[in-house]
Amino acid sequence: MLISVREAEPALTTNLQEFPSDLLAVDLGASSVTLRVDPATYSLDALYGAAYIFIDRCFVLLDKPDASYRVTLAWKKREPTEDDLRGLVGEFTNELLSCAWRAKISQDSRALIESVTAQALGGALGPPTLDELEKFDFSDETFEDPLGIAMSWEDKHRKKAHPDDASPVDGDNVTEKKP
Amino acid sequence: MTELRLHRDLYSSTALDEAVAIYAPHGTLHRKDQPSHWVVEITAPSAERERRIAGALGNYALGLTVKGRRR
Repeated sequence: MLISVREAEPALTTNLQEFPSDLLAVDLGASSVTLRVDPATYSLDALYGAAYIFIDRCFVLLDKPDASYRVTLAWKKREPTEDDLRGLVGEFTNELLSCAWRAKISQDSRALIESVTAQALGGALGPPTLDELEKFDFSDETFEDPLGIAMSWEDKHRKKAHPDDASPVDGDNVTEKKP
Repeated sequence: MTELRLHRDLYSSTALDEAVAIYAPHGTLHRKDQPSHWVVEITAPSAERERRIAGALGNYALGLTVKGRRR
């Protein structure tokens, strides 16, 4: 046990039907629930994140009896009902999943965030020196623009000259013909 | 007496030290560390009070551990 009391009362253990019995045990006598968390599914950061959210509502104790983590949520004050414990377990598991997903997103976007941060810090250093400009490599190919997004409006909508036209239309030299 | 056992892989020692210092006025706390766990023996006038101290101390140590990892 995570907390051992000298004169321990016999545990009144039951299971909540909605949850797998091998993952969750409810001890009504101690007003607590114990969950087993698979570290292959939920990282330690996710477990910490979920546990941190619940420390204002209940006593949270983490343990690692074997390869998996064990989380014990104990009610702080009043005696909880079975519905209370069911709700607590549901909220904790949802929060655990949410934290795991956020940790995954954070991990995936780490390279992008570091790149943007480096560029921002590089820009804050001030304009490049003449030596740095001399060493600048202009040989890189220009970026591809298949949709013409970087093209100006005038270039994009310029009238194509017909081969029959001898000279381009000049607005100032046009003479209006009256009927 | 109540014994609080916190796994070394999950709780930092400095966090537990701070937690023990915070809750020392509320009971008699004695650290007796083991190879796999940090162990705190808690003695208070009643079992319920020992339970509350153990739970709150565990929460405090967990909170400091999590904050320490985020830095």
